Amino acid sequence: MIRVKNLSVAFDGPEVVKNVSFEIGDGEILGVVGESGSGKSVTALTMMGLVSEGARVTSGEIYYDEELLLKAGTPRDNALYREYLGRKMSMVFQEPMTSLNPTMKVGKQVEEVLSLHEAAIEETQRESTVPSGSAVQSDVKCGEKVPGKKRKQYRERKEARKQKVLEALSSVGLKDVERVYELYPHQLSGGMRQRVMIAMAVILHPGLIVADEPTTALDVTVQNQIIELLKKINQEQNNSLLFITHDLNLARRLCDRILVMQNGCIVEEGITEEIFQNPRGEYTRKLISAVPGRTGKKKKLRKEIGKALVEVRDLSVFYRENANSLFGRTEKKCVVRNADFSVYEGEILGLVGESGCGKTTLSKAILGLNKMITGEVTHHSNAPQMVFQDPYSSLNPSKTVGWLLQEPLRAQGALDPSKAMTEAESRAEAIEMLKRVGLEEKYFDRKPSQLSGGQRQRISIGQALITRPGLVIADEPVSALDVTIQAQILELIRRLQEELGTAFLFISHDINVIYQVSDRIMVMRDGRILEIGETCEVFEHPKDPYTRELLR
Amino acid sequence: MKYLVKKLATLILTLFLVSVLAFLAFQIIPGDVVTSILGTEATPEQAQQLREELGLNKPPLVRYISWAGNVLKGNFGNSYRYSKNMNQMMPVSELIGDKLPVTLSLAFLSMIFIAVIAIPLGVFWARSKNRVLDVILNVGTQTAMAVPSFFLGVLVTYFFGILLRWFSPGRYVSYEKDFWGFVGYLIFPAISVAIPKIAMTARFLRNSMLTEMHADYVRTAYSKGATERQVAYGHVLRNAMMPVVTFLGMIIAEIVAGSIVVEQVFGLPGIGKLLISSISTRDFPVVEILILYITFVVIVVYFLVDVLYRVIDPRISTK
Repeated sequence: MIRVKNLSVAFDGPEVVKNVSFEIGDGEILGVVGESGSGKSVTALTMMGLVSEGARVTSGEIYYDEELLLKAGTPRDNALYREYLGRKMSMVFQEPMTSLNPTMKVGKQVEEVLSLHEAAIEETQRESTVPSGSAVQSDVKCGEKVPGKKRKQYRERKEARKQKVLEALSSVGLKDVERVYELYPHQLSGGMRQRVMIAMAVILHPGLIVADEPTTALDVTVQNQIIELLKKINQEQNNSLLFITHDLNLARRLCDRILVMQNGCIVEEGITEEIFQNPRGEYTRKLISAVPGRTGKKKKLRKEIGKALVEVRDLSVFYRENANSLFGRTEKKCVVRNADFSVYEGEILGLVGESGCGKTTLSKAILGLNKMITGEVTHHSNAPQMVFQDPYSSLNPSKTVGWLLQEPLRAQGALDPSKAMTEAESRAEAIEMLKRVGLEEKYFDRKPSQLSGGQRQRISIGQALITRPGLVIADEPVSALDVTIQAQILELIRRLQEELGTAFLFISHDINVIYQVSDRIMVMRDGRILEIGETCEVFEHPKDPYTRELLR
Repeated sequence: MKYLVKKLATLILTLFLVSVLAFLAFQIIPGDVVTSILGTEATPEQAQQLREELGLNKPPLVRYISWAGNVLKGNFGNSYRYSKNMNQMMPVSELIGDKLPVTLSLAFLSMIFIAVIAIPLGVFWARSKNRVLDVILNVGTQTAMAVPSFFLGVLVTYFFGILLRWFSPGRYVSYEKDFWGFVGYLIFPAISVAIPKIAMTARFLRNSMLTEMHADYVRTAYSKGATERQVAYGHVLRNAMMPVVTFLGMIIAEIVAGSIVVEQVFGLPGIGKLLISSISTRDFPVVEILILYITFVVIVVYFLVDVLYRVIDPRISTK
């Protein structure tokens, strides 16, 4: 179907894709797995002719059904690509939010694929169905004689296009398609948007679909649905699928064959199960072991129950919602309902749930950042600290690492003069913490921009721990990191928890991460805590149907 | 509905505040209208008489209330300076009503030039990959923006009026006598008003388009097999218009308030010219109403921009 031969791509600097060769067979699902920066997206975009102008193909060729699409040294043939894109090969992107035009109705956006290729498709149909061409000629003559006919034809064609769009929308599992057709992207949920993207990709039954991290931005349950949908389409339309992901579990569920990429090279290639059973390359082995799984070594980690550090009693959190009518009162919307739990000394309590379920709101309320609450939060330890999700934006880029680490100490000293430290003392503390989170002293004078994502998250954790709080709330601390880094950070949190005895409230949408790190877990949905219990207990005997769904 | 009521309330409140400020300003500004009308030779009795005639002997608050009451009733008062005939001063409404069509027509024509030229130019510029063209457009628009408007007016007069003889400079044709002659004359001041604004709008649109072209949905459009042109006009333009619309709104507000310099250069009896002359002669009733008019126009234009925003971007209305 598709053959990529010795492909190398470079931007300004060195090659980001190096000598990559692979083939995708008819109806095959090929997975490309790798961490960010491994060149998997660039490979796909180059294949699709969508890579930015700055990229140069330095070597290699790409064939589609034995037809040459792209060759190094010759400029990209945009006209040829336009003929192929949408009709013979199409793409589903990662961010369904930004990948759809926000100011265009989704129906129109799907329809655009049809209108762009309408002329070409008709031509091929005419060639195949009417060999003599006489019928066509008479048709044109009629059109000339009766001007009204042309308009009628146009209207019929438009109607037919719309019909086809509606069919495509329902084929990807959307309901009430007449209404969806008229909606704008922001009026759809993430899952629905991705379905629209898929409808767009499959409407002309292309031979190849490239899906670049199509589920990464979605919640777990929606993720499952989208994976099932892709599988179904692959079986029904029998088109080839190139599935790009950083998530090995997903690749394992969906793909027939897998390529593993690292630093622009293919380091391993093979049948999915074979790779998972006995990976040959060291990198692949590392990747597989880094995936937070639910198998293996889970021993009973909890020691005895300490005293409660935070007690949350019947806590509900509200948001003000603006009234829609002129004289309507602004209403309070309940985001967290009747939460009731405690975090005990020295434990890691995992909080799992999908986006929008109230996890972050709950954690803010515990910290006292949200004032519109009913119920009670009692703290039995000194000020709890927080670790945020995005280590890129949560550290002040203009300060040095040392300054950032000392900051909580300064704040503490300002609040409570008895705890004030001299510069030398706080510096010593900061350096000690730097070592604790696994960084050398030389990082003290660096700026966050000189650090990798994982290193930055280490700094964030150090910042949270430097005042030795009893409790740290970590809100999705590993979600923005690559799998191997993720594993290291989880390891670090576990170690620090044991060394310092700090309790963690660990928030994540990823049930596997939660399993790896937590002593107890708490499952949340739509603002309610559905289930709370020992990790092993919940995983082995989930009580709530939603937990079962998450664990699937 | 709630939105409209809110906007209307803001409009009324702003007009009220501006009217108070405008009124107050003339209490503070030095200079006496009576001296300015009668000259320094007048006797104190004459001055006192005129003062009473104009109602200037009453306390400011009383004067403001009676003035505001009259304005609400649609009675804008009489000019201090312009007379209608021997024994009656010119009502402000007539005075302004006379000049308003000139300024509004000029504004309308300029806006047409701006919209028709700047938008295609901006799109074309954003799409062009020709380095030389880029430099030419860059320098050209920069120059057009930098040249002071009076000089531009002089250039336009020289080029179209004296070299090409397409119109007779200084021979303004009244719209009451010859409407098409009036439009023909207005084209040239409109060009002078429009040129710098076209340059600004085109630059602005180009930058906005270039930013927008990196958006994810643009890549999606290409992945459907759309041509560069289809992507630019079908997807990017509408999204790139968002900031440009605000900018156009500012321009409209500015032009409708009267292009003072251009009106002066081309001898147009418009609002801008009236404003200058009434300020210098302390013709308060005229100035106050003009200030209210400008405020009104600015707010209404911004309201329209806001509405247009909602039309362009469906995300706004639901938020």
